[in-house]
Amino acid sequence: MTTANPAPKKSSTKPPFLKRLLAHQESGLVLVIILISLGLTLFGTLNPVETKNAIERPAGSQVLLLDAQGVTHANGTIARTKIATYRVKSPDSHTDYPANQIKNYDSTTDTLYKITKLNPFLNKSNLVLVTKDASFFAIIAVGMTGVIILAGIDLSVGSIYGLCAIVGAMILTNLPPDTGWIVAVPIALLVCMTVGTLCGFANGAMSEGLGVHPFVITLGMMAILRGLTVVIPQELFGTQSIGGFPTSFTTGFFKAEFFGVYPVPVIIMILCGIVGWFVLAKTVFGRRIFAIGGNETAAKYAGIPVKKTKILVYTITGALCGLSACAYLGYYGAAETNAGNAYELQVIAATVIGGASLMGGRGTVIGAVLGAIIIQLINNTLIIFEVDTSYNQIVMGAAIIIAVVIDQTKQRIQARRA
Amino acid sequence: MFTRHPLLSTAMFSLSALSLIGCSGGSDSEKNTGDDHADHGDHAHDDITYKIGVIAKSNSNPVFLAAKNGAFAAGKRLTKELDGATVEILWQTPAMEDAQLQAQYVEQLVASGIDGIAISCTDANLLTSALKAAVDKGVIVVTFDSDAPDSGRMAYYGVNDYEAGKELMRQLATVMNNEGKVAVLTGNPAATNLQARVNGVVEQAAEYDGIEIPMVYSFMPETATEAAAKMQQVQTANPDITGWALVGGWPLYTDNALDGIYENAKIASMDPLPLPLQYAMKGQVQVLVGQPYYGWGEKSVEMIVDKLHFDRSPASDMVIADFDIVTTETAEEFLKNWELWLGKD
Repeated sequence: MTTANPAPKKSSTKPPFLKRLLAHQESGLVLVIILISLGLTLFGTLNPVETKNAIERPAGSQVLLLDAQGVTHANGTIARTKIATYRVKSPDSHTDYPANQIKNYDSTTDTLYKITKLNPFLNKSNLVLVTKDASFFAIIAVGMTGVIILAGIDLSVGSIYGLCAIVGAMILTNLPPDTGWIVAVPIALLVCMTVGTLCGFANGAMSEGLGVHPFVITLGMMAILRGLTVVIPQELFGTQSIGGFPTSFTTGFFKAEFFGVYPVPVIIMILCGIVGWFVLAKTVFGRRIFAIGGNETAAKYAGIPVKKTKILVYTITGALCGLSACAYLGYYGAAETNAGNAYELQVIAATVIGGASLMGGRGTVIGAVLGAIIIQLINNTLIIFEVDTSYNQIVMGAAIIIAVVIDQTKQRIQARRA
Repeated sequence: MFTRHPLLSTAMFSLSALSLIGCSGGSDSEKNTGDDHADHGDHAHDDITYKIGVIAKSNSNPVFLAAKNGAFAAGKRLTKELDGATVEILWQTPAMEDAQLQAQYVEQLVASGIDGIAISCTDANLLTSALKAAVDKGVIVVTFDSDAPDSGRMAYYGVNDYEAGKELMRQLATVMNNEGKVAVLTGNPAATNLQARVNGVVEQAAEYDGIEIPMVYSFMPETATEAAAKMQQVQTANPDITGWALVGGWPLYTDNALDGIYENAKIASMDPLPLPLQYAMKGQVQVLVGQPYYGWGEKSVEMIVDKLHFDRSPASDMVIADFDIVTTETAEEFLKNWELWLGKD
């Protein structure tokens, strides 16, 4: 039957893999990430940086500084450029290191450092750092994606994050120092996420219940919550920052070291991304969000509980602010009143760079996470190229505009083809 | 999965591949330069470069612009003075005060192989672990302006805030002829550096029989207009105030902030920045007590280079700087410093 009618067969044929790949919403982002990464890798390969590693020495050995004539000099009496040999002298033997192998000798810690050359971009510490720095606002961007797909906005996410961090810190600082992570982590998560959930619910309930645009409600909440973030530690602790948490919560969990890096915030970001993608793409709730963002009136007539869905999305965003704040507390080991200041701009930028439309009805969680990574990759690029940070905001602003213009151009081309 | 979500799979694959390559980068891309150079001796050092990251609190505050220029000037000068070594300065400062961003800059600088870091800590609690990690990796850390004493840093350079408060009150008492009623203006009452300055003012004031123990007035947020409004309100409500000690120069960053005040009270303030100096030149402010803004950058870089190049540490880990005392007579002369400090030379 299919051979008798070739036309339907032709229409059911899938387009080539590459074409499908490029047609995907996040293809441009992946391409940007790959191009930036390749560029930085190439630059780093051609311009490796010198870093240093401590040389393991025999116990009881001492380091002697020898000039080109072999004369020994006391520490602090010879310039680094005049040292020809570093001699590690043990009671029964000695080892000589030519000066060009040695970065420096620190007499304060009695440590001899050898030079190693490193690609400034392509090394595990840097790659994990870039994704870790992105993770704190990428986690919030997962929730913000839902808000923006609804054609809403949440300007209070930075303040919710700050308040969650301060309240969480107040609880954590009162836990006994030897509290195990099995107790400290759930308590902190519960406190931070409860505060975040309540704030998010207040945003959603007020904007829907009072019929006021979320821009106004969340703008007001941003100021209220930031004020609380400043006032609470000031009144209760007389300070601007709170630290002193159980180590099981910091280095024992959120800043736990694996193979020389600290990947826990990155793992949380990836898990949030996967769950967020599943909820938006595979559940009825996710479909409802797209339906409301695409056409709210039609969604209402279709029987979708619009108000309930919107309130839930704002509540989830608040809860994610709490989760991110908990990771921040664990990673940095303290909270300060400025925590999350202007974070809303980074979160919205990540979501928009990730392809979400501020008009609603379009956006992806994976895109938002990739958008956050691109923002941090740009920051990392400026550091690797040793660009003065005064230029960061200019570059970042230009990147946001370019990303959105490219995305809209792509949309127009696709619409014309369709 | 791969065919249904090609892009997701590709993205995951790309990131995983990069991470894997990166994870092996520690052994693959690290090369011991000793293998590349058989010779040794003086010309083995021709390419020695000391990279120093300077992290101030914010790019929008002119005192840190002075610190930036001080750091770059020290880098240039030391490159000329040191035999065969270059000093490179990398300015990494958030646009607004942000301790988390400062911590991220510290981590990224360490990952990129920096030799030294000079930092003014927005929040010591938050930055301590990042600085400790840097110190553990052999990076020389010096704090300026705001310290992180538990970070293991080599030294702190700046003024003692408590002593700054005492000096401010001492100067004010002199111009008030040791009598009158003093009010103290402070910003965020929870800020530890401001608390120390206020304590210094109050304790010094107690030493003068003719001076009434001062009232302390705080305001938030720390903006020039809020500060000016607070001063005006307090002076109107308490016309018997004859002296003001400003532990920060906030109101003096606006024009005409002291109308209705300077006619009735003597004023001493911290921070002789260009705008406050205009008030001093007009005779509306009698004394300004300054910190070593340019020196924050200059001296910090010098200390780091001294450690890297000569393995010399300062005698004490607290390197306390002197105050600059600026009066109405010396304000015009002092203003010339800012042309150098702000790079207008």
